[in-house]
Amino acid sequence: MGALLQVEALSKTFGAVAAVNNLSFQIEPGEVVGIIGPNGAGKTTAVNLISGVLRPSQGRVRFGGEDVTGLRPDRLVRRGLVRTFQATTVYATRTVRENVRRGSFRKRYPGFLHALLETPKQRAWRAESEQHVDRILSWFGLSGHQDTQAAALPYGFQKTLGMAIALAAEPKLILLDEPAAGLSAEEADHVRDTIVRIRESGVTVVVIDHNMRFISNLCDRIVVMHHGEELAAGTPREVLTDPRVIEAYLGKRHVAAQIG
Amino acid sequence: MIDDTAAGAAVRSGAAALSAPRWALAGLTALVMGVWPLVYPHSFALHIGTLVLLYCIGAASLHLVARMGHISLAHAAFMGIGGYTSVLLVMRLGWPFALSLPAAAGAAALLGLAIGPVLLRLSGKYFVLVTFLFGEIVRMVFSEWRDLTGGSNGIFNIPRPYPLFESPVAYYYLALGAMALCVGLCLRLVRSEIGRTMDALREGEQLTECSGVPVLRIKVTVFVIACAMVGIQGALQSHFVHFISPESFNIFESLNFVVMNVIGGLTNLLGPLLGALFLVLLPELLRDYVNLQRVIYGIILVVVMAFLPGGLVELGRRLRAGGARLLGRGEG
Repeated sequence: MGALLQVEALSKTFGAVAAVNNLSFQIEPGEVVGIIGPNGAGKTTAVNLISGVLRPSQGRVRFGGEDVTGLRPDRLVRRGLVRTFQATTVYATRTVRENVRRGSFRKRYPGFLHALLETPKQRAWRAESEQHVDRILSWFGLSGHQDTQAAALPYGFQKTLGMAIALAAEPKLILLDEPAAGLSAEEADHVRDTIVRIRESGVTVVVIDHNMRFISNLCDRIVVMHHGEELAAGTPREVLTDPRVIEAYLGKRHVAAQIG
Repeated sequence: MIDDTAAGAAVRSGAAALSAPRWALAGLTALVMGVWPLVYPHSFALHIGTLVLLYCIGAASLHLVARMGHISLAHAAFMGIGGYTSVLLVMRLGWPFALSLPAAAGAAALLGLAIGPVLLRLSGKYFVLVTFLFGEIVRMVFSEWRDLTGGSNGIFNIPRPYPLFESPVAYYYLALGAMALCVGLCLRLVRSEIGRTMDALREGEQLTECSGVPVLRIKVTVFVIACAMVGIQGALQSHFVHFISPESFNIFESLNFVVMNVIGGLTNLLGPLLGALFLVLLPELLRDYVNLQRVIYGIILVVVMAFLPGGLVELGRRLRAGGARLLGRGEG
């Protein structure tokens, strides 16, 4: 089977600054791949480029073999590429259920006129999507909180809700931008378990984080970014022992001490 | 189990019917609006009543734009496009009003469609600024294209649509019908899946787009509908007051629509309707205090906005809550 996602020589410049420079990698179906790097490495910019939030200055993105470079996020979602955001992004004043409902837009919106005229097709789609929302809530263990306002949820639950919104769109590949940022160790473990279950359900996962421990316990492969470029790529063990990665993360003195 | 879920979904999705007291209140309001001109056909009251109905169309249509998180200062320009289109088609080309009215809506919608995809990519203050500039450009075109629009002097002696509508009562009912249709469409929109999506993209546009919503397409479609509606208001109003000029569509008129929404309440379609009622009636109530009119007007606006940040709609909620508390105490 061919690669699900191919990133080819992707670059993005803001004025004179190259936030992402000549980045290339590919993701096979069913993998969990981590993209790591120190703060400012260009990870989130790379995700923005892949998910259509930003247009690349150069390079191509292929999804399922098709060139999707520069397509708007909604079109990518329709093709099965969904993302979450670094900051907790939920509809804070809405209930948990309404949040997931909004994530399942594709399942409940047959078209403008159908929605406006409340046609039988619209009603059928809505009824079906409500069952879908029930399944998503149950899958994430959020059924008991479905009527709770999202802002009232603990931070870890809000992160989970962010993933539930994304999963409600039934993606083939999900890009998770720093899913464990700001979480306690226990909450991060819960998020990691959830990601494992997402992968087991058949969804390919790309996780972006700077927490090496979180990523290395989770991913089949890791791509390390530094100054907008790929620094190293390989299995967690290969990457963790790569002196260039250690230097980027911990500094030259640490590497010298390790070698000495 | 599934039926329960579906039923619950219908309720939770906001498709639930209005409560009995609200139905009763809505019915009573409709009855009063429908019957009072027959009971009290006073020409001045009919004139003000008709203007209130026409402004309800414009304010409700701006509510659709505001509901998506945008404050447009170009709404009067689209109203002007509708007004001039209908007036020119009737007076220069002899079109019947039955055709010039949809043409007015179509012209305003076309302009909305032409500029919407550019405008609606902007957000916050940039959207406000660009709509302000666009509105001024349209007004200047009205002023400078003298051969067509009569320039700053405008166009006088615009006829009523048909002899039937020479009667103030008949024109009131024409305006009532147009208002019912337009506000009905707005209500349908905000209560549908589109309304849910409009709320979502106001609360988090990027998140909504990344959930698969074709944000720009939905925003442009709703914007075009809003432009068409205010174009209808422009046409009906020009034929009603027999006069049209560029100054009828300046920035203050656009601001008026915004203030109607803010004063009435931005979160509920009832808000702009109350705002239109309030802002059309207020100058008439202050007619005896011409010198102080603007000062009093300003003070009332500040007081309403300071004490009712949710708009006049909030007053109803507070009164209901206060009543419930009193009843609770009484029972206690």
